[in-house]
Amino acid sequence: MDTFRPRTRSTTDPRFAILHAGIVGLTLTTAVIHASLGGLLFTLNAIGYATFATGLLLPGRFTAWRWLMRLGLAGFTLATIAGWLLFGARFGLAYVDKGVEVVLLLALALDVGLEDGGPAGVIAHIRDTWQMARRYASRRPR
Amino acid sequence: MTRRDVSRATAIATILAIALVLGACSGGSSGSTAPAPSAPTGGAVVVAQDLKFDRQTIAVPANQAAPLLFENRDSAPHNVTVMAADGTKVFTGETFGGPGSRTYQLPSLTAGSYKFQCDVHPDMKGTLTAG
Repeated sequence: MDTFRPRTRSTTDPRFAILHAGIVGLTLTTAVIHASLGGLLFTLNAIGYATFATGLLLPGRFTAWRWLMRLGLAGFTLATIAGWLLFGARFGLAYVDKGVEVVLLLALALDVGLEDGGPAGVIAHIRDTWQMARRYASRRPR
Repeated sequence: MTRRDVSRATAIATILAIALVLGACSGGSSGSTAPAPSAPTGGAVVVAQDLKFDRQTIAVPANQAAPLLFENRDSAPHNVTVMAADGTKVFTGETFGGPGSRTYQLPSLTAGSYKFQCDVHPDMKGTLTAG
């Protein structure tokens, strides 16, 4: 049986640990801020951020999919910022939260660069995943 | 399971616990059952509680500035924004978390019907009549 081998680099370097802790911390910070706003949309947004934070910490075989979590979290954060720019209220806590989200995006970009080797690495992840899915599909009994 | 996995599992459990706490207390109300405060002279009052305004309609005199007492009984931030029928904002009140209150000074409004809402939670809305 083929094993999917992630391209993710070693995470034994303590600088990676600091970066990852920072990403999880920023993600939880914006989750708490959104939860404090009340209402269904903000609560769902907070749950989304908490889910990504959990996904980034999943151990074992799930670490192979951390690149996808980073990508998903970046997209989710961008969508949240865009939603605020289009429809959001302008007040102090909102500006603080957008600052947190911008720093989170920068940290994620740095992590993608270091862990995945940048956009080319992400494309390689996607290609690997696609090929793995095709292999899996071709083995299924018809 | 390695020690590293154990520490990650602990971190995950912590996050889930935080999420549960967040879900339980997000945007919570002070639970006050006190009646709304009296409206200031020549003005109006509105209270935000449980992510709702306590009334759907408020009235102020036309063609003169009027005070609007706004009490926020939620921990979530709220404000009152007044809009003309075409959606143009004619007044935006300060957004603040509760419990607390502010007395906004509404500008002079020509007689007619306006909408008011919370900018943070646009589902919280009503009608302001100047007349």
